[in-house]
Amino acid sequence: MEDLGIKIIGALLTVILAFTVGMTYGGIVRKLTARVQNRRGPVIWQNFLDLLKLQSKKTNIAHGFMGHMAPVWIIISAGTVLMFIPILNGNLWFPNLTFHGDLIFLLYMMVFGSLGMALGAGQTGNPNSAIGVTRGLSQMVGFEIPFVLALVALMVQYKTTSIQDIMDIQAQTGTWMMFANPFAFLAALFASLGMFRYSPFDIVGAPAELASGPVSEFGGKYLGTMMSGGSIFAFIKLTLYVDLFMGGAGFGTGILATIMGLGILLLKTFSLYMVPVFYGWISPRYRTEQAIRYFWGWPTALGVIAVIWAIF
Amino acid sequence: MEKENKILEAIKVAFNVEGHIAREKRVMITANKDIVSSILLFCKNQQGYIHLNHMSVVDRIEDGKFELNYIIWSPTEKVTIMLKTFIDRENAEMENIDSIWDQANTYEREMREMYGIQFPGLIGRQDFALEDWDEMPPMRRDFDTHAYAEKTFYQRPGREDAKDVREELTKQSGEVIPDFAKKYSRE
Amino acid sequence: MTSNNKDKQTIVEYIQNWSRKHSLFVMAYGTGCGAIEIPATMTSRYDAERFGIRGAATPRQADVLLITGYLATKTLKRVIRVYEQMQDPKYVIGFGSCTINGGMYYDSYNTINALDRYIPVDVYINGCMPRPEAVISGFVQLQKQIAEGTANNAAKYKENLEWYRANQKKIIKNWRMPDYNW
Repeated sequence: MEDLGIKIIGALLTVILAFTVGMTYGGIVRKLTARVQNRRGPVIWQNFLDLLKLQSKKTNIAHGFMGHMAPVWIIISAGTVLMFIPILNGNLWFPNLTFHGDLIFLLYMMVFGSLGMALGAGQTGNPNSAIGVTRGLSQMVGFEIPFVLALVALMVQYKTTSIQDIMDIQAQTGTWMMFANPFAFLAALFASLGMFRYSPFDIVGAPAELASGPVSEFGGKYLGTMMSGGSIFAFIKLTLYVDLFMGGAGFGTGILATIMGLGILLLKTFSLYMVPVFYGWISPRYRTEQAIRYFWGWPTALGVIAVIWAIF
Repeated sequence: MEKENKILEAIKVAFNVEGHIAREKRVMITANKDIVSSILLFCKNQQGYIHLNHMSVVDRIEDGKFELNYIIWSPTEKVTIMLKTFIDRENAEMENIDSIWDQANTYEREMREMYGIQFPGLIGRQDFALEDWDEMPPMRRDFDTHAYAEKTFYQRPGREDAKDVREELTKQSGEVIPDFAKKYSRE
Repeated sequence: MTSNNKDKQTIVEYIQNWSRKHSLFVMAYGTGCGAIEIPATMTSRYDAERFGIRGAATPRQADVLLITGYLATKTLKRVIRVYEQMQDPKYVIGFGSCTINGGMYYDSYNTINALDRYIPVDVYINGCMPRPEAVISGFVQLQKQIAEGTANNAAKYKENLEWYRANQKKIIKNWRMPDYNW
């Protein structure tokens, strides 16, 4: 019974952590972008202000059942996926439902957010939404291939499909996966450029062409919920990358160990997050076919090399 | 002035119209409305004036005429021809030339909407820039736009000191407004 | 009057208004020549984003509708559609002389003269054109109104819908507009 209580509190803690970190990272990126453009920029908790404002909108319009469910779907799938990600290795306060094969499970579940968005956007009937969804799914087809190849390389190399196992192997050997199989890491890193949808891969939102694409008919609370779900997803992706390629974080359950573990996790995730952001600052937007060609070029080649590396 | 003379003479010989050279690279021709399309076709097909720069209308309300200008240009000769014709203001009607230049269609639709000049055979929506317009064509000079605005739109108080710019200017410069212009001035 | 309103706000309303004040999504829709001042306001030199002002591409997400300059009767139709698609609470900023009394187009046959007859306006910024400083000061004025809880023109619009509709229909003779359920 006590165990269950700790697990529930731990799950809540995990969600709060993911939400806070995801939103703050978004705010920091806005601030940094402003600084790069020689502006003062908004405060770093601007995203929380935006969310609070969106949630306190007096009217909210939904276009049918799926339009109503899409944000809920996104946030539920975000929460579900989060439960399977080891936040801190071997820390009781951040438990996770790890099992053998959760890597494959995650591969499927991580698309659910975009899928929910696609279904919801389809029902709004806005042509911009439809185009945005088409672009989003095309782009997903693009970056999923190097991403999956990278993960398959890891699975083949260590004959396991469990995130926890891969973290343990890294702890035992003392070598991060990004050094043990650098090609897999590079392929996954390139895929992450598309995952975070910063330029040049912001073809889904594309405010100037598509009026923010799939979300163009969502306002108020719906948009706010989508924003929170997206922030949690950003944290999930970063933590998954850190777990798989950068040895994860965490030393134990003690208070000091937890704080240190969180600090290291934040350091690793933030430095990883800066890769797509930095790349975005210096790139204009791609067209859809350019984006797909990009992902099916070198990133996929690196993924194939990673699989060969893993086999031999 | 060789090229200018050449084209002017060619048109004069072919159509027996008046014209002169305004300045370098600019030839002015005044023609009857019936032969305008023939001149344009002649210039386009035989003299290389393949580019329609512009079509415009001037409302010569004092003479009861519309003045139509066709400005065409030759990329090889680099000479502009300004072809001018006058049509009656009442039941204004002019030949449609969008079979010569497709882009004339746009100009003609604008003329039809803004001045009420009819072009028989002109295909295109009646609305060009205005929506649901049921008054006199607004660019005609006898359309009182100020009265219309006062009638249609809410006038916020505080604009009573708005002066007629033209009269204020003539007070300063001592210029005299001619009678025909006074008729359409605000006071 | 200001202090009264401040006292009347409950703590929840106070927090909500505080967040609304610091997060204004501006509808990226330029109606007239004034739209050219918006890029200057948003970019490096004047940087409106430090006030929490950012662009929103669709009316569903936007809070503020900027009427930038003269408003042609043809554009008015689109502006009304955009305004009615925006979600409460929403604010309108009239931008430049043209929205106040017609400006230099006061006797034009196709630009409206007083914007607040057709949609409710929270803040007017005068000038032809207002410089980015003036635009930002207008936004700050709007933020003050929001914090005080006096910027509730959207509710006023719903209450006086018939009056506004009558004025709008006087201009837009052929009224073919969908009904929005807000």
